[in-house]
Amino acid sequence: MATLNEKKTCSERMENFRRFVWNPETRLFMGRTLINWVWISLYYLAFYVVMSGLFALSIYSLMRTINPYEPDYQDQLKSPGVTLRPDVYGDRGLRIYYNVSDNKTWEGLVTTLQTFLEAYTPAAQHLNINCTSDTYFIQDTFDGPNKTKLSCKFTSDMLQNCSGITDPTFGFPEGKPCFIIKMNRIIKFFPGNGTAPRVDCTYVGDKPGPLEVDYYPVNGTFNLHYFPYYGKKAQPSYSNPLVAVKFLNITRNVELKIVCKIIGAGITYDNVHDPYEGKVEFKLKIED
Amino acid sequence: MQDDHRLSASQLEEKYGTSINKGLSNARAAEILARDGPNALTPPKATPEIVKFLKQMVGGFSILLWIGAVFSWISFGIQLAQGAESAFDNLYLGVVLALVVILTGIFAYYQEAKSTNIMASFSKMIPQQALVIRDAEKKELPADQLVVGDIVEIKGGDRIPADIRLIFTQGCKVDNSSLTGESEPQSRSCDFTHENPLETKNIAFYSTTCVEGTATGIVINTGDRTIIGRIASLASGVGNEKTPIAIEIEHFVYLVAGVAISIGVLFFIISVSMRYKILDSIIFLIGIIVANVPEGLLATVTVSLSLTAKRMAKKNCLVKNLEAVETLGSTSIICSDKTGTLTQNRMTVAHLWFDNQIYSADTSEDQTTQPFDQSSLSWTALSKIVTLCNRAEFRPGQENVPIMKRVVVGDASETALLKFAEVILGDVMNIRAQNKKVAEIPFNSTNKFQLSIHETDDPNDKRFLLVMKGAPERILERCSTIMINGKEEPLDSEKAEAFQTAYMELGGMGERVLGFCHLYLPEEEFPDTYPFDTDTMNFPTSNLCFVGLLSMIDPPRSTVPDAVSKCRSAGIKVIMVTGDHPITAKAIAKSVGIISATSETVEDIAKRLNIPVEQVNRGEATAAVVNGMELKDMSLQQLDEILCNHSEIVFARTSPQQKLIIVEGCQRQGAVVAVTGDGVNDSPALKKADIGIAMGIAGSDAAKNAADMVLLDDNFASIVTGVEEGRLIFDNLKKTIAYTLTKNIAELCPFLIYIMASIPMPIGTITILFIDLGTDIIPSVALAYEKAESDIMNRRPRNKRKDRLVNEQLAIYSYLQIGIMQSVGAFVTYFAVYAEQGFLPSTLLGVRVDWENNAINDFEDSYGQEWTKYQRTYLQWTGYTAFFVSITIQQVADLIIRKTRRNSIFRQGLFRNKVIWVGIFSQIGIAVILTYGLGHVTALNFTPLRFQYWFVAVPFAILIWVYDEVRKLLIRRYPGSWWDKNMYY
Repeated sequence: MATLNEKKTCSERMENFRRFVWNPETRLFMGRTLINWVWISLYYLAFYVVMSGLFALSIYSLMRTINPYEPDYQDQLKSPGVTLRPDVYGDRGLRIYYNVSDNKTWEGLVTTLQTFLEAYTPAAQHLNINCTSDTYFIQDTFDGPNKTKLSCKFTSDMLQNCSGITDPTFGFPEGKPCFIIKMNRIIKFFPGNGTAPRVDCTYVGDKPGPLEVDYYPVNGTFNLHYFPYYGKKAQPSYSNPLVAVKFLNITRNVELKIVCKIIGAGITYDNVHDPYEGKVEFKLKIED
Repeated sequence: MQDDHRLSASQLEEKYGTSINKGLSNARAAEILARDGPNALTPPKATPEIVKFLKQMVGGFSILLWIGAVFSWISFGIQLAQGAESAFDNLYLGVVLALVVILTGIFAYYQEAKSTNIMASFSKMIPQQALVIRDAEKKELPADQLVVGDIVEIKGGDRIPADIRLIFTQGCKVDNSSLTGESEPQSRSCDFTHENPLETKNIAFYSTTCVEGTATGIVINTGDRTIIGRIASLASGVGNEKTPIAIEIEHFVYLVAGVAISIGVLFFIISVSMRYKILDSIIFLIGIIVANVPEGLLATVTVSLSLTAKRMAKKNCLVKNLEAVETLGSTSIICSDKTGTLTQNRMTVAHLWFDNQIYSADTSEDQTTQPFDQSSLSWTALSKIVTLCNRAEFRPGQENVPIMKRVVVGDASETALLKFAEVILGDVMNIRAQNKKVAEIPFNSTNKFQLSIHETDDPNDKRFLLVMKGAPERILERCSTIMINGKEEPLDSEKAEAFQTAYMELGGMGERVLGFCHLYLPEEEFPDTYPFDTDTMNFPTSNLCFVGLLSMIDPPRSTVPDAVSKCRSAGIKVIMVTGDHPITAKAIAKSVGIISATSETVEDIAKRLNIPVEQVNRGEATAAVVNGMELKDMSLQQLDEILCNHSEIVFARTSPQQKLIIVEGCQRQGAVVAVTGDGVNDSPALKKADIGIAMGIAGSDAAKNAADMVLLDDNFASIVTGVEEGRLIFDNLKKTIAYTLTKNIAELCPFLIYIMASIPMPIGTITILFIDLGTDIIPSVALAYEKAESDIMNRRPRNKRKDRLVNEQLAIYSYLQIGIMQSVGAFVTYFAVYAEQGFLPSTLLGVRVDWENNAINDFEDSYGQEWTKYQRTYLQWTGYTAFFVSITIQQVADLIIRKTRRNSIFRQGLFRNKVIWVGIFSQIGIAVILTYGLGHVTALNFTPLRFQYWFVAVPFAILIWVYDEVRKLLIRRYPGSWWDKNMYY
């Protein structure tokens, strides 16, 4: 079979390209006449305007079906995540290293805690009510102002020794640091099935002895009256309840691995894929 | 060097232990065969398989994917050094990309090996045979079984099966061009004419061809020990030139690679200037490349081509070269042989003249009756002459074979007459037996008649019947009366005039005319015992009674006129090239429509206007009949002029060498030329043609070897079928590519939006690979099964320089219109998934950095809920799955719209191509398996998607369909409009 040979030299190619860009004989610019370019541009303009309109219409009708108070599905939020403050991340997760005799190493940590707790000053919490009941705070109606629901007050003084009020350094210089454990908000999530969930911190792996921990509030529980959460629109001033843990017997100059789990029905901490579900793990090393 | 050429025949017999009359014994031959090995050349060192394999690994898009893989590994290295957690993702991605290249490479390699095998099996299908004498018996053996000392017989058209010392020749000529480059055939004899064995005339060499004559010789060398085997440079001259479809595919690969690289680089620059990290930018680049490259497409193209080749084989077109399939589709001129290709290759009675009237006979392939009026007594007389004055006979034992297919001993005209008589009268042999022949003079070129004398079958009639047939003018000379309606009337000048008119008319139709006459010999002069002597002719041979004329022609195959008109409407010029007489050639050309009924040649016009040929305006003549003698004296310009100015051309009395000149002339016009041929001498023309077509039945080995395609039934109509298939595959490849390219935009947009708007990644690189190599593969192959749109044979042939496989319109329509619609549909699904899980579209914009931050495990959604990194990642995978599912759903619509480019889907029929439905179900099936079956394998990034998200994109799928129907409607309604020019691909 005879075949087609399309060998062209470089200069021929360049010439062809130039001819393609502007062909003076046929008055074609990039293969089209100018008026043709106008037409095609207008067509595409119209086409994309219509497509954008369709997209906008689709998103608009999607938004019409969305409930503003709570999402339709919570497929990924079966069990809450847990976070730690102060949160310094190393290569593999949380890693808090500091030197008691070098305040530069822990001042940042203390500032993190102070900044974090600013949302829990009485002034910041003044919109919230005092709750005393130890049961779920179920609100079927909108009792708050502007069609909102009420939220319970959580102030930093409830964290006592770890509140930063009595000890503004949160025990870091003494080598007995405070950490704050926060449980992620999930709408209409009822943790603990009637019993208040509590935080439990232990060593992971090598144990230099039993870990002595002080929990604030007492027993390290999240009081049930902070649950359930009704969402940002219903509870605009809601703030997560916190538990502070103070480690009392940390061996110096050793990297320790500590895990703080939240114990309570409905909260799982054994998801192999998610290290922050129902628990928070971190490395702690205090040098002197 | 051997000195076999010096030895005498008896010395040779002694040397090789053979006998010229008896040949070798079978046992001895087997022994020698075991010693020397088969008579075949060791194939030239082929490209090592590993090199072929590696070529597949770097060809086409593979390079792009390798670049992607290397980038992945580089970023893995960098991230690993930085100790990042997600480093391994990039390692895996690189591995997956490499695997994709290797797997598609293996597939392509396998396909190539398979088609090589098909071709190898093809060459086995037409093995060279040699006529050998062994154990005093002539037999046909495969040529590779020959051994030294075998006696072989050769005739014109054969390839010489080994080096042979000739011991008997008769007008033998060989074509040594493959060995010496001399194009003139060399005569061969038994004489020792030169010291040099290469020069002497009594040796014929392996692989050359015997052009004419016959010869017998002793095999003196076999296999690699032959002269040609010793010439190391034999390695077959298969060039690396590219076929049209290969050029098209390359053009397409360049185009897509160009788009991929420019978009990739553009967005690399954009992302760097948007202060993304270089590493991230590289990862985006990989994503863009992967999204842009249709990984599965090249494999699909190969599969489609081989499917078509198989389909064509079923229709009697055997394709030797896969890509020839498409070349045939772009054919613009077919140079066809006449005999056997356009015609049935057998003489048949076409017309009769008796009682002053011309009757037409049925000339179709399977006639069983003849419709003309047979009531006249003249016909009875004529039929008797036809039956009796005929020496042809059926071979015995064919009673159950249809008359037209029976084997006859006799020449072509007599065969035609015999079959004609058998069809009308029934058992001819019986009639002859009843009319016993008493004397006969066979036809010879001096008499130009044939005569026989018979007893009659009427027992009361004791007269002898003398019957005669021959050249009409000679027969008429011998007649004094003529039979009209069964009565003898004197042959006056008026009747002679009528005869002349009829004779001219029949002759003018290119038919071979025979005259028939008879005479009842008077009983008193020629009694029972009369001794007829054919040498002295002691009986009257003049003053006979003229009965009628019969004319014969090799009639066109009944499928040919239709095929020719198909070619005509398909814009293909059919040129007849024949060695036959111009008048016959023109008549056949007219009857099959190569010269249409209304068009005239210069000579016709001259005759009509009664002016000399020179005065005719040549522009008025659309047809031309060119004689080989004229062609010889023509300059190239004159030939070009003829090819250019006349749409209907017949070349008559041409030699095979002239065929080559004609082919070259057509190619100078920029045509894609298909040439049919059967003879050895046709090989150069077959090779020169864009597509050479050899005849499967009549074709010589040399022709079959030179051709790209073999017509198993020698039928011109099969070429047209082939053209149709070739055009169809081109169209269908267009459709496949359009289908495949469309979703590239839906895969690419997510990356672009991700970079520009910093939303969570809508689709993952691995997921894209699952579309390209999973859901999309079977549907794109299914398009190869699509039936032709109605206009396929009403278009002009493709202009190979202008009509590209992937043209601007195709790319733009797929990329910028349907692709965009798909992207919008997929994004709506994506936003719906995120919104219903808590992230409203407004929240998603600009969220990328925090979203991907491993250190944020209380990421807040639109409702105030907090998410850990893994929870977000899982949602992101759900997004991938949703995007994937949406693309799949919309690809179903894309598949349906791609069934046609111009016609409405409803006209084409939704269910005519069942394979499309297999494609659709496989597509959805694979998506379901990936989503629900593998939804728990985290590495694949699929999650079990909520059922309703499968339907979000359905309105967009419908929109795609409707939009495309409107596009097609406007194209059909306003041909040639702006819309047609811009929207028809």
